[in-house]
Amino acid sequence: MLKRAAPLAGIGAGIAIPIALLAALEVAVGMGAVNRALVPAPSAVWTELVAIISRGKLWAPLGDTLSLMFTAYICASVLAVIVGVIMGRSRAAYNLLEPLVEVIRPLPKPALLPPLILFLGIGNEMKLVIVGLAVFFPVLINTIQGVRGVDPVLVDMARTFGYGPGRIATRIVLPAALPFIFTGLRISLGLGLILVVVAEMLAGTGGIGYLIVDMQRSFRVTSMYAWLFILAALGFALNFAFEWLERRLLFWSRQQEKGG
Amino acid sequence: MTAQTMTEPAPPPAKPRRPLLQSRVSGVLLVLALLVLWDLSARFWVDSTSWPTVTAVLAALFSGSADLFAAFTSTISLMLKGFVLGALLGVAGGIAIGLSPFLRRAFTPLLEFLRPLPVPGIVPPLILLLGIDDAMKITVVAFSTFFPVLINAAQGVRMVDPVLIDMARTFRHSRLRSMWQLTLPAALPYVFSGLRISLALALIVTVVAEMIAGGTGIGYYLMTMQYAMQPDRMYAGVVLLAATGYALNWLLLLAERRLLHWYSPG
Repeated sequence: MLKRAAPLAGIGAGIAIPIALLAALEVAVGMGAVNRALVPAPSAVWTELVAIISRGKLWAPLGDTLSLMFTAYICASVLAVIVGVIMGRSRAAYNLLEPLVEVIRPLPKPALLPPLILFLGIGNEMKLVIVGLAVFFPVLINTIQGVRGVDPVLVDMARTFGYGPGRIATRIVLPAALPFIFTGLRISLGLGLILVVVAEMLAGTGGIGYLIVDMQRSFRVTSMYAWLFILAALGFALNFAFEWLERRLLFWSRQQEKGG
Repeated sequence: MTAQTMTEPAPPPAKPRRPLLQSRVSGVLLVLALLVLWDLSARFWVDSTSWPTVTAVLAALFSGSADLFAAFTSTISLMLKGFVLGALLGVAGGIAIGLSPFLRRAFTPLLEFLRPLPVPGIVPPLILLLGIDDAMKITVVAFSTFFPVLINAAQGVRMVDPVLIDMARTFRHSRLRSMWQLTLPAALPYVFSGLRISLALALIVTVVAEMIAGGTGIGYYLMTMQYAMQPDRMYAGVVLLAATGYALNWLLLLAERRLLHWYSPG
């Protein structure tokens, strides 16, 4: 009985802690303990959030942000997997490209925003390129690692059965490297979202990141927090969807994962 | 989410042990060729104010521009302060939720909601609360450092061999002593992989905070030079940041090798 009760108490506390924090904030704002102009009451943020959704103002910025994220993420990931497989399979390609990768990879990608703004302006191309750059390298590095870790016996066997290089890449190498590729994809999801928000904040005309900065500059603090909540929910939802997809696609590799 | 899979693994070493430079001749030549192409194109073909020659960029970097150096030291010092703060809180929190299932369940909903939040989002509210100076930037960096360290530390604590803990209890070691001598060392490799993720992130986030909030630092410097149409100094800043990213990762790997020489993964 006690053993059953313990997890329940923890889960109960898990629900109670956020509620208690919000309630404390609500009371503090109500009593005037914090400056209402800077910290709005959670209930006011909630009302604003409901208003944003019910007036249909959510969809255009959300659509902007999501389309930027998905376009850049998918294009850059596909490209990174292709280059990664080539670099993982061919030593010549690896030797040729690895130094270039090592020169560009450690660069904090937001630093490339100012040069890209000079070349591409503040439009969509610039944002797609900067997000794509952030997504590309983690996927590339992990794909190379995964491809190089493929059991050579598998490849030899496939060759024995008359598989050509193309079929070996898609049927043998790619599935075996998939857990690594997903590691890269997960890192890139977080980085990509960071760059989406930064690009929108610095060069935006729409999108959630732009709205957060815009509301802050015009001192519409309640709206700012409502949009921040939307951003947090978006991050949570994308992360959740990613983990669901990963479990679906990698159910067979669970037992191979090292270190718990 | 394993500690290993959260790191961005370094490319595996070349299998036949040839000297590094010799095996990568083609690659190094490619990088040099691209640089030469850039320089020549800026000299002869592209007539644009946003495309300086490589030599102009290097000149801007090495001519010891005082503001670039000041911006650089400001960035590094804020980043390190935020990183250390976030890492300490992350290790402490990670040990707490790693040791206590109750705390883990109690804080999971809050942490799981905050963790995927794209960090730049909290910069505008923090500007209102803390201003655009050091306190705000340090907080943002600490926030971004906290989560990877926390999650990896918690994971590491749970990987401690329970037999060791039982044995320590048999030998009447105090809980504090077994934590210091058993739990912490066992969690250390995981903590380090969290630190490595966080360090790369901390540099990114510092630059981002400086770009959004302005005031000081290399992120702000880059934006200013872009507006001021001084691309050679802007690129010098980019090159300096790339070198910094490279050096930080290298330093942490070195520290890891020093501290974790006893540990072999896998």
